[in-house]
Amino acid sequence: MKSNVSDLWKKEDWLAVWIGFVIILIACIAVLTGGFDFSAAKFSTWHLWEGVAEKKSLIAQLTGPFWGKLLKTFLVLCVVFTVGVKLQGGEVKKYIPAFLCLFVLAVIVRLISAEFTLNRYLEWAFWALIVGLLISNTVGVPAWLKPAIRTEFYIKTGLVIMGFSVLFSNIAKFGLYGLGIAWIVTPIVIIFMWWLGTKVFKIDNKPLVITLASATSVCGTSAAIATGAAANAKKDDLSVAISISIIFTILMMVFEPMIIKATGMSQLMGGALIGGTVDSTGAVVLAGNALGAEAEQAAVLVKSIQNILIGFIAFFVAIFFATRVDRTSDKKVGAGEIWYRFPKFIIGFFVASIVASFIILPLAGSSQVSAINGVLDQYKNWAFVLAFTSIGLDTNFKEIAKQMQGGKVLWLYIIGQVFNIALTLFAVWFLLSGVVFDIPQLDLFK
Amino acid sequence: MKRSTIFKVVTIVAVVATLACALYIMAHRLGLSDELDFGAGAYYYADIPGFDKIVNTDSYSTNVPTWVHIVLFLAWGWLMYRLWVWIDGKGGK
Repeated sequence: MKSNVSDLWKKEDWLAVWIGFVIILIACIAVLTGGFDFSAAKFSTWHLWEGVAEKKSLIAQLTGPFWGKLLKTFLVLCVVFTVGVKLQGGEVKKYIPAFLCLFVLAVIVRLISAEFTLNRYLEWAFWALIVGLLISNTVGVPAWLKPAIRTEFYIKTGLVIMGFSVLFSNIAKFGLYGLGIAWIVTPIVIIFMWWLGTKVFKIDNKPLVITLASATSVCGTSAAIATGAAANAKKDDLSVAISISIIFTILMMVFEPMIIKATGMSQLMGGALIGGTVDSTGAVVLAGNALGAEAEQAAVLVKSIQNILIGFIAFFVAIFFATRVDRTSDKKVGAGEIWYRFPKFIIGFFVASIVASFIILPLAGSSQVSAINGVLDQYKNWAFVLAFTSIGLDTNFKEIAKQMQGGKVLWLYIIGQVFNIALTLFAVWFLLSGVVFDIPQLDLFK
Repeated sequence: MKRSTIFKVVTIVAVVATLACALYIMAHRLGLSDELDFGAGAYYYADIPGFDKIVNTDSYSTNVPTWVHIVLFLAWGWLMYRLWVWIDGKGGK
């Protein structure tokens, strides 16, 4: 198999990279020059049934400017993805009406996941899957909608955009303590879960094993998305891994601080343990906050280092699968073959991250980078919502049940997570208890 | 009772208990904070409202240069990758 120069403008991976770069470039120009507003539409939190004093209605936010922004978001996404589909040989006439319908479904998903109670615990990835699954398992997906179901294309584009928010400077935010807790433990847990899943439980679906292992040890949904794409995981694999991670995050967010408090662990140690083990970042902040301000800060420091890992883990997974899992013969896979199979969007992710960390951040400062990420974040979310709605539309409940492999997948997660907690606890004790090293002092609490 | 049946029963119990627990937490709004306007649903730090104030705070000073962190980061990553390949190769495919 050989790579051609035309792959650069014909293959999905490269097109996702270019689309991601175009959106990042426009966002940078918009924010740095202040010349125009490129931000995408976003629903603010609204209340449906909560008896709160300041009840925010959905209707109140559906004003003229909102509709304008929504139209702009649609046009930007429709143009870039249509060009991408056309270059891949798709039919524009069939794609545009299908994309319009998919976008409407994505709007419904974002509307549901902006509701106060619904967005407290379950992220939009979950609601996107539910909406898609409800349609595909009841009325069915009409043939004319299928041209827009391009899950991988949307995911890869979203990941390239997400790369800009991954700042390498975060690696030293908690010194060697943070690196030790976040980075020593993470790969060991992944390798343990790989061994447990493939050798002990003998699960044949290796992409599912690695997707679940990354979700458990790194940072839940975003790690699952990146690793799943790197390992060529099937749509059902991603649904299963993310659903398990989301449900258990709810439990861990509540029980972990309770148990830590009961053991009398220091805030610094408790926060670091939470940052290293609870999957979603929102849940990490909340669980840390439940222990106290110092715990919240420690939890965020460790989690922000883990967030840098996403790209590296996806890179190693892509190399591993290209050289060991996907090879068809026992011959050693050459560099050309590895390059051919390597998911190129990972390069886009890294380039975006490097540009943000080493060019834009030093030149423009952290407040400008945050402002750019504020714009990009919404495009990333729209791309992922389109992807997860597509997954739901392309899946049926029976397939998901089959992916659970008679419960083995659930136990792989549970045992892997227990191992993750035990190993992180050991790392936290070793580094932060004061028994082996001096206890570090966070600046705010000196 | 067969081992497979026991495994099935234990798995079903675990699933039901997990879902019941999650539903209880959601129904009683446990684990939320009045000061923070988000929940576990904010899965990535850029999704958290005002995330820059939380994440971009310089709250720890270290004398160890950033490049040392990067070298250690890459070295450990490479070492773990070799370990992964070795473990995967043991005991056949």
